[in-house]
Amino acid sequence: MTQEVESLHVKRRTTRGTSNARRLRAAGSVPAVLYGHGEETVSIAVPATELSQALRHGSKFVDLAGDLSEKALLTDIQWDVWGNEVLHVDFTRVSADEKVQIQVPVELRGEAPGSKENGVVAHLIHEVTVECAATQVPEKIEVNINHLELDQQITVGDLKLPEGVTLDLQPEAVVVQCVPAQEEQEEEEVSASSEPEIIGRSESEEGGGSE
Amino acid sequence: MAMMPKRVKHRKSQRGRIKGNAQRGNRVSFGEFALQGVQGGWISAATIEAGRIAAQQYLRSEGRLYIRIFPHKSITSIPLETRMGKGKGEPDYWAAVVKPGTVLYEIGGVSEEAARLCFARVAHKMPIRCRFIKRQ
Repeated sequence: MTQEVESLHVKRRTTRGTSNARRLRAAGSVPAVLYGHGEETVSIAVPATELSQALRHGSKFVDLAGDLSEKALLTDIQWDVWGNEVLHVDFTRVSADEKVQIQVPVELRGEAPGSKENGVVAHLIHEVTVECAATQVPEKIEVNINHLELDQQITVGDLKLPEGVTLDLQPEAVVVQCVPAQEEQEEEEVSASSEPEIIGRSESEEGGGSE
Repeated sequence: MAMMPKRVKHRKSQRGRIKGNAQRGNRVSFGEFALQGVQGGWISAATIEAGRIAAQQYLRSEGRLYIRIFPHKSITSIPLETRMGKGKGEPDYWAAVVKPGTVLYEIGGVSEEAARLCFARVAHKMPIRCRFIKRQ
C-alpha cells in the first residue's frame, strides 16, 4: 500500500512576494519551500503538472531533482478557495530510514449490514496521524465495514495498520460506528417570543420595540 | 421552526457588502459530500429550513445531514404602502451571509450517487448557484 517515489524537477527560486508567486503560477509552476534537518530553508518552484500527478497518486515521499537533490516529505499543501489549484507546498527534508509523523486519510470499504436495519454509518475520524519510516507512508488506511452491525463500532485499536506503522491515538477512540437513524423531529413548540433576547436590555425595555 | 439567534446585541443590522471569497468554512469538514455556494448572497432562515426538509425527505432515515450556515443577520423591511423615511423598518426575517465558496450543507453515510441526487433537490431551493463537492 506504500506508494512509489515520485520525482519532481524543481528550480531554485530567487524572487519573493505575492506578485512574483502569481507570475510563477501563471507560468505553470507552484511556489514551494524546503526546510528541515537544521539546514537552510530553500525557496523552490515545482512544475504544476508533476506536482498534480504526485498528488493524484497520493505520494507523500518525493525525490527532489533538478537544481537540488534531496529526499523530502510533502508536509503541507495550500489550496485555493475552490480546492482546484495548489497555491503553495511545504517540503521537509527526510532520510529514507527516518521516522516521520504524517496525516493519512481513513477510508471506509464495503457496506455495513447495520445500515439496512435502519442504521446510519457515522464516520467520525477522517484522518489519523501515523508514525512510520518516510518510505513506508501509507497512501490511506482502509477500514472494512462489511461486518459493522447496528450499534457496533470500530475503534482505533481495531484498525489494521501496515507493518511498521503506528498511531498516536488512544485505542478506544471510535473511528466509525453504526447508530440507529433519528426519526425526523416533530415541530418544536414555538417559543414565547418570536424575537431573540437582546443582550443588556431588560424585558420591560424590550416591549418598547424601537431601537 | 426556522433558525434564528437566541440572543443578539442589536435588533437591526446594516446591510453590508459581500466582498471576496470564503476563506473559511469552504471545505468538507463533517460528512463526505457537500453543497458549496458558487455565488454570494443572503440565505434566509426559511430557505435554509426548506433545504433541510428537501434533503431529509430524500434521505429518509439514511445518512446524516449537517447544516453549515446559520442566519445571524436580521433583515428589516418597511411595510407596503408606507411613505419613505420615518426611520429604518422593523426586523422581517433572519439570513445567513454567504460568500462565494461557502459550504452550505454536508452529507455523510450515503453513496455519492444518493448525495448528488439529494443535493440537486436542495440546490433548487437555494437563491444562489451551488455545486457538489467531495472531501479532499
